[in-house]
Amino acid sequence: MTAALSAISRFVNRRQRFFFPAPAVAVLFLIIVLPIAFNLYLTFTKWTVGLGQPQFIGFGNFVEAFGDERVWNGVRVMIYFSGASLVLELTLGLMIALYFNRAFRGSEAVQAIYIIPFAATPVAVALIWRIMLNPEVGVINYLLRSVGLPPGLWVSNEHMVIPTLVMVDVWKWTPMITLIVLAGLKSLPPDPYEAARIDGANPLQIFWYITLPLIRPVLIAALMLRSLDNLKEFDLIYTITQGGPGIASETLYLYSYNVSFGYFKAGYGSALMVVVFLVVLVFNVIMNRLRRDSSVV
Amino acid sequence: MRKALKFAAMAGLLCTSLISTSASAGIDWKQSQGTEIRFLMNRHPFTTYIEPKVAEFEKLTGIKVVIEAFPEDQYRNKLTIELNSGGRVDGYMIMPGQDDLYYSKAGWLQPLDAYIADPKLTDASWDPKDFFASFAKASSVNGEQIGVVINAETSLLAYRKDLFTKFKQKVPTTMKELEQVAKFFYGKEVDGKKLVGITLRGKKAAATSQWVDFLYSFGGSWTNAQGKSNFASPEDIAAFKFYGDLLRKYGPQGGTMLHWAESTSTFMEGKAAMIYDANVFKALYENPKESKVAGEVGYAVIPAGPKGLRLPHVSNWSLSISKTSAPERQKAAWLFIQWATNKENGLGALLAGVPSGRKSAWDSKEYKANDKQPDWTAATMKSFEIGQGQWNPPVINVPEIRDITGQVIVDAIEGKDVAASAKKAAALMDKKMER
Repeated sequence: MTAALSAISRFVNRRQRFFFPAPAVAVLFLIIVLPIAFNLYLTFTKWTVGLGQPQFIGFGNFVEAFGDERVWNGVRVMIYFSGASLVLELTLGLMIALYFNRAFRGSEAVQAIYIIPFAATPVAVALIWRIMLNPEVGVINYLLRSVGLPPGLWVSNEHMVIPTLVMVDVWKWTPMITLIVLAGLKSLPPDPYEAARIDGANPLQIFWYITLPLIRPVLIAALMLRSLDNLKEFDLIYTITQGGPGIASETLYLYSYNVSFGYFKAGYGSALMVVVFLVVLVFNVIMNRLRRDSSVV
Repeated sequence: MRKALKFAAMAGLLCTSLISTSASAGIDWKQSQGTEIRFLMNRHPFTTYIEPKVAEFEKLTGIKVVIEAFPEDQYRNKLTIELNSGGRVDGYMIMPGQDDLYYSKAGWLQPLDAYIADPKLTDASWDPKDFFASFAKASSVNGEQIGVVINAETSLLAYRKDLFTKFKQKVPTTMKELEQVAKFFYGKEVDGKKLVGITLRGKKAAATSQWVDFLYSFGGSWTNAQGKSNFASPEDIAAFKFYGDLLRKYGPQGGTMLHWAESTSTFMEGKAAMIYDANVFKALYENPKESKVAGEVGYAVIPAGPKGLRLPHVSNWSLSISKTSAPERQKAAWLFIQWATNKENGLGALLAGVPSGRKSAWDSKEYKANDKQPDWTAATMKSFEIGQGQWNPPVINVPEIRDITGQVIVDAIEGKDVAASAKKAAALMDKKMER
């Protein structure tokens, strides 16, 4: 008996590298690899949940996506929304971080209040925004009227909806960029600044020739982190507009959700998800390259 | 002594035979004793009403009933996934107008006609003729009944009685009058508030369930005789245009984002003279805690279209039997559905605020004695009588086609070229329609 046990223990001992990670690997396989593999398989099938079995149709779903107006609308909305919100968040985040980087009285309290939007639950704040933005009973139009400004239609107008959503996204996520950039600013070496001041550089030159190049890798990292979420932004848009009015704020990600869980077209929905995934992947590969190039400097 | 025994035995025999004859008038409720059935339900007021009474049924039949209820959004996903994966579901709640073709094509709906026709399985007192014909039809696919109505709805025009009296306006009976009255009230200032003429749903797919009443009343239809989309027909375009114009010109701002919650709250705030939406929202309008217009609301059937048609829709929740369940459990499920929809429960549910599909419930003394809005009841009865059960596109992929339809409604509200939008939607519908 003991001999058998010690044989087992020797066997395990010699193969620690297989046995110890085995449970984790098994779980990862079950909850990540299998679903992704199944999703990839569905991509090449036509399947409405309930109506028969998945039918293999090769690249049929991608051909359909190519001719689907709502896919192109989704891509357009995605580029518009993500482009505008990422640029604004990065610019504002950097500016505010620079401001916070100087010590001033009560700066900690201000910073604590400032990050509240970022800390709040997305769906909860989105619900509040939805009520505030209502053109008839919302508080925003009430305030505008009370100071004599014309009320707006906000998310109820197809041309206003994306700028309005960008505004909410910027309000919510700029603090995150600020936090990351602020951490980067605090870790910058003091010597170049001293040297620059001795050479008589003005603050603008110091920012442009010293701070910005030094902080670039941090900025790109912040952009990557934010873009991962932003390109597949769901909770904010879904809660406030559900993609409306009409399809004016329906991103590709939202459309693929509708196809999968509204229409139960699992095959086509999976294919659209894969397209979203590829977009996010390509964007991040480019960003990664930029970051690597900049860290060499 | 012997004689006496004989007599007693005779009397006993007589008694048993008497009992058995009286029992044969009804069905044998114990016939599925010991069976356990599982029902998936939407967490709906009917479920709240019936759940505490299930013990009575279990005592009557010896059948064990397991009810699992979920909020509506989760419920639909849960049900679809369970039925698809072959989970053990014996019966469930269904909204036939939304899901009947899909579920029927998927093979999840057991036809009920054989059960109803079998005198051993269906008690004479269940009286199928007591249900409004429009709902029996609405719960049928290809002439086979697949569900029994438990919650009956339609849509009504609700209006502010106080304002109509004050400004001497007549309740509109035609679409033309509807537009005139909406125009009349739009912009009128009452109690420091600027009124809108009418409020309607305008939010893409959500709007189609109310717009469809205008579609039918304008003489339009989802599909033409060839089974192709009928959106490009003059009648359909007129319905899209009328609905969109009404909301854009005389409705609240931001019409394209109005779901029922936004639309009803505008009305309850006292900001709209009229609203067209589900009749059951009476409960909201008349609740003095939530609504500023409680007690001031009148109700009417949809105004008639240009050719005199008045065709509101009726929608319902029904109880159905799962086709994938075993015959013995299906029989028990039928006994449960039969019991849950009998006259007594029809009335009980109605008194608990769940609109019944049974005529007898509405005609009862108990209901009439407590009816505070007889004009609502009268309009509802009229609508039930003339109502159309098909309120969704007659396709399997209802949500997808509703989205396509909703886009035309949105375009109409925004004042775009309705004919062009309808034509485009018709082509898209023909491409995407699955039947």
